[in-house]
This record gives sequence, C-alpha cells and structure tokens, in this order.
Amino acid sequence: MGTNNNKTNAAKRGIFTSAGATQKIVVILVIVALAVFFSVMSKPFRQYATLVSIFDYSYYISFMAIGVTFALITGGVDLSIGTGMITCGLVGGYVIAHKAMPVGVGILVALVIGLLFGLINAMTVAVMELPPFIATLCSMMLARGIGSILTGALSVTWPPAGSEQGWVRSFFKYKTEGGLLIPVGFLLVIIAVIVMSLILNHTRPGRYIIAIGSNKEATRLSGIKVRKYQGLAYLICGLFTGIAGIAYSCTFQAVAPGSGAGLELDAIAGAIIGGTSMNGGYGTITGTLLGVYVMSLLKTGLPYIGLQSNWQQIVTGIILIIAVLVDVLKNTKGK
Amino acid sequence: MKKKLLSYILCAALVGVLFAGCGKKEESATEETTETTETTTEETTETTTDTEVLNIEIVSKGFQHQYWQAVLKGAQQKAEELGVKINFVGPNSESDIADQVQMLNSAINAKPAAIALAALDTSACLDAITTAQAAGIPIIGFDSGVPDAPEGAVLANASTDNYAAGELAAEEGYKAGIGDRVKNATGTVRIGVLSQDATSESIINRGLGFIDKMAELVTADGKTVTVEGNDKFVSDSKVEKTSGADVVIEVLVPAQVTSELSSIDCQTLLNKSDLIAVYGSNQHSGEAMVTGDENLGKFGIGDDKILGIAFDSGAVIKQAVKDQKFIGAITQAPVAMGEVTVELCVKAAKGEAVSDVDTGCQWYTSETMDNPEIAQNLYD
Repeated sequence: MGTNNNKTNAAKRGIFTSAGATQKIVVILVIVALAVFFSVMSKPFRQYATLVSIFDYSYYISFMAIGVTFALITGGVDLSIGTGMITCGLVGGYVIAHKAMPVGVGILVALVIGLLFGLINAMTVAVMELPPFIATLCSMMLARGIGSILTGALSVTWPPAGSEQGWVRSFFKYKTEGGLLIPVGFLLVIIAVIVMSLILNHTRPGRYIIAIGSNKEATRLSGIKVRKYQGLAYLICGLFTGIAGIAYSCTFQAVAPGSGAGLELDAIAGAIIGGTSMNGGYGTITGTLLGVYVMSLLKTGLPYIGLQSNWQQIVTGIILIIAVLVDVLKNTKGK
Repeated sequence: MKKKLLSYILCAALVGVLFAGCGKKEESATEETTETTETTTEETTETTTDTEVLNIEIVSKGFQHQYWQAVLKGAQQKAEELGVKINFVGPNSESDIADQVQMLNSAINAKPAAIALAALDTSACLDAITTAQAAGIPIIGFDSGVPDAPEGAVLANASTDNYAAGELAAEEGYKAGIGDRVKNATGTVRIGVLSQDATSESIINRGLGFIDKMAELVTADGKTVTVEGNDKFVSDSKVEKTSGADVVIEVLVPAQVTSELSSIDCQTLLNKSDLIAVYGSNQHSGEAMVTGDENLGKFGIGDDKILGIAFDSGAVIKQAVKDQKFIGAITQAPVAMGEVTVELCVKAAKGEAVSDVDTGCQWYTSETMDNPEIAQNLYD
C-alpha cells in the first residue's frame, strides 16, 4: 500500500512538473515579450535606470509572494501580508526613528512582528480551523490597527541611503563610488528563492505542506501532524511578510499607516501567474518569482507607453483571469 | 485540546495587550490636556479677575499627528494669552468618524462657550451640530472646517486657503527658475503636477491654484499654455485647451494611493525630455518625487536639472529641500491656525461678529527653512 501510494505520488509529481515547466516557459516568454514590446515602444524605457526601478519595485512583492506561495500550496491564502508588511515596516522604523535604536534592532523588530502575524494566522487557521480567507482578513484588520496605534498614526521614515544608519538600504540598492546604482537586492531574492525551493521540495516539512494541499484528510490519516505543518506554512508566510516590510521600507521614502491593503493581491497574483494552484497541492517558488516579474514589468512599463495606472489594473486583472483559467483547465484535464 | 486552549489564551493575551495599549494612550492624552488646562487656569486666575473663565472645546481630526501637535501648540499659546480654558481632543486616526462624533457630543455636553470643529465627515456630525445650535453654542470650523455644513451652523472658519497655497507655489516656483526656462525655451516645455487624488477638496484646490496661477504667469510672458492629463483637473482649471502650446501642464493622478504608483508617475514625467519642473501637492506626492528620482537623479538646481516643488514637510521633504534637490516647498501654518481658532472661538462666545480667516502658508527653501517663523511650522 505504502509503496503503491508513493509510486502514484511520484507519477503525479512527474506530470505536474512537466505541466509546471511548460507554464514557466510560457511565463518567461511573456516576460521577454513584454520587455521587448516596452523597449520598442518607448525610448526612455531602454535605460539602465528603468531596469533598476523594475527591480526596486519587485523586491517587496517577491518576498511577500514567496511567503504566500506556502499558504496557497496548503490550499489556503493569506490576505494579511499587505497590511502586515506595512505594519512590520512601520514598527521597525518607529523604534529606529523615534526610540533611537540601531537599524539592526529595527530589522529584528520587523521580523518578529512578521512572525507574530504568522503565528496568529497559524493559530486561527491551523489550530482553530477557521477558513483561511476569513481568518487572515481578520489579521489584516488587526495589522492595520496595531500599526496605526503603535506609531501614533504617524508615517515613518527609515534612515535614508548614505546616512550612517542607512546601510540597510544598500542591501537592496548599492551605490558605487562612481555613483552607479546596482540592484543587489536581486541577489537576496535569488537566495531566498533557492533556500525556500529546497525547503519546499526537498525537506519533509515542505513535502508535507504540499501533501496537505492536495489532500488534507489523506495526509492526516497517514499519520502526519497536519496542524503543525499547515501552521508552519503560515509562519513562513509571516516571516517573509517581515522581510518584505524591510524591503518596502528600504525602497520607499516613507511608510504610511493605514496603507498596504491591496498590495497582497500583487503578490498572490504573482504566485498564481507563476503556476501555483489556487486549490493547493501544487506550486513552485521559481514560478512565483517569474510571475512577480510579469507584474513588476507591467507596473513599471505601462506608464512608459502612455497608459496610466488605471489601465495597468485592468491588464493585471485580465492576466490573472487567464492564469486562474489555465489552473482550472489543468485540473479538469487531470480528472 | 491543549493547543486549542493555548491558542485561546494567546488570543486573549493579544486583545489584552491591545486594550492596555489603548488605555495608556488615552491616559497620557488626558494627562497632557489636564496639564495644559491646569496651567491655563492658574494663569487666568492671575490675569482675569472680573470676567468668568471661558471654556472652549476643540475637536480635531486626529490628536496624534505632528501637524495637529503644532495646531495644539498654537491653540495653547493663544488660550494662555487670552486667559481661556481649552480642551483639545481628536480620534486616533482620520478614519475614525464615529469616534469623532462621540467626542463632539461629549464636547456639547460639557456646555462650553464655543466649539471648534474640524469634521472628518460633515453628514455624520449633522445631528450633533443641530444640538449645539439648539443649545446656543457657537461653532467655529478649522483646518478643513465643516464642508457643506447647514447654512449658519458654522460661524467662521480658520483654515489654509489651499487654492492660494497652490498659487503661491506657482509664483515662487516661477520666480525661482521656471520663469527663466519658459522665457528662454525654443520648443515646448512641460510642467508636471503630481496629485495624490482627484477627490479630496484640499488636494484639488492646491493643484488648481498652481495650474491657474502658472498659466496666468506664462500668458503674461507672452507664451501659450495648455493642461493635459487627469480629466478632473483639465476640466476644472481656468486654462483653455490649446494644441501646440508653448507650455504643457501635465497632471498625473495614480489609480490608487500607493507610494509605488505615485513614484512611477513621477518617473514617467522625469523621462519626458521637455520637462522643466514638477510640483507635488502634498506630503505623499513630495515623497514619491524623492523615490521616483532616486534612480534618475534629475531633480536639482543646475541648468540641466529639473526643478522640484513640494508641499508640507516631513523628514524626507525637509531633507530634499535642505539638500537643494527641491528648489522649495509650501508649508501650511498649523501654529497660526491654532491661535486663530481660539481667537475666533472667544470672539464668537462673546457674541462679536466673526468671519473666515485664511491662516496662511509659507514658501520655504534651503536658506529660509531654519528661520524660526518657518521652522515652527515644519515637522518631521
């Protein structure tokens, strides 16, 4: 019985990875096509500064997306990451700017707050078994309120680049002595992608998380502590919310309380475009990253061809529908 | 079961912490106000002997914001000077409309000599306003006041004339370099306006004031001008749409108020080769200008640079003005607003005639920003 199960699982995995690989190739082609299209249509797009901007605006979405992929794979979702990210940035920045703490402490605080939200979600979703949609919607409201209260509804600025405390910004964008800006944050994203891919695909907890998403009951019956691993997915998501909060605060000048709602959708969209299944049970971190770059390219590129941000939202909506449709078709084919 | 219990305990702890946090804040707020009240009462007993001490309730939009701290400071100064007692309150954030209504009701119940109000939502306050009218308590509006209040309900307003503030930005910007560039230009030049939204009255007026004044100045120099971009601004400005104009004023409004979209809007402007200046009409837009320029480095004062004009302050904008990245910015005068508000309240309480007062705004540059007159109105 055991061996039989393993075999079918392996066979399934084979089908999925090949389907996943096709989707990834399609997404890569879309990225290339978009880049070529924007470059042909707009001269200013063909400059180094644009590339740096695309990277700038992709970091925080990338980190959120990596985290939320885990929640999506369990068959759930985490809607609190957008406001949660802002809260992490706010509180982290608050202790630096208003409590005169070193930046290191601010980073730590941001990560802890992220983990805390992860813990709350893990408790409500995995232990109390609330529907993830509602549970994380609630923690989203918690996040927004807590961020405003802790900072006294004031917007917070992390130390600017070039200042003594501003070293953390150069982890994302490094300015050489010649004044050249290097988007080194991309390396951080790549490292995160490699590490999290390994954890998802080659460790026991990772495989369990996938198993929960494909069939929670069967996973439970085979003796796996479902609650523990489902909770772990949300913890990971929380940790990455904290990292995203740091990335966001280092990219933008100020973090404003009460903002952040809606940003989670960019990350979720990235994951889905990258092939993560809305029904759970399947997803890859590399796919997610590719999906995020489709989103960032659109966001940065469309204004260059004269389309205002209203259009970008329409285009994103259409692309998402297509991505979800592909997911649905893939599943019905499997049946 | 054990885990369930644990999770319940955790949740309870979280809620507990929340309550503790809220409680503390309120405590400190009341402490602060009682402190001020105490000092003012002491002063009054010394200075006024024959008149009764007037009580004034001030209901602001949000007590915690730095801007409001400056308003409070002005109000306290004036209260001390005039020997009246003030109670300054405000909700936790600018979206807590119900809280503010409750505060307004408590203020009315305190039977003050006058109430100053900066309503978050006029329609939510209507009942309370009628009650105050029936009780014969005069209401003075401040900051954004009480827009669309019933006729005669609000006796006077102490507020920034946002349209005039926008005009000042255009005038000073024109003097500081835009004018020379417009006059010396051989082809079309472009002036960008970044607006956070096209719905808030104060933001719209700041934009329109800038556009109309800029158009007036450009036309006075014998050049033609047109407005492009956001429909609201194009149709509401006084500028006639002309093709092939010498100066194009382009207004960009993001689909959603996020730092990212506003920064990208700024980049879009900066990448246009005919751009000479950008005006960001509030703190959000000003900060987006800094982010948007980060990779391009186009703002500055040199001949090959683009002129940046911001609004309000905050650490980022102050720094950008100080570094001469921006040629200057407009700041409102919250301290003066606090003073005028109390003054109007006292007059109204005594039955004297009152009328609207523009509390003014100031243009500040790297040179003038340390001037105490201006520095008191700048906040981090």
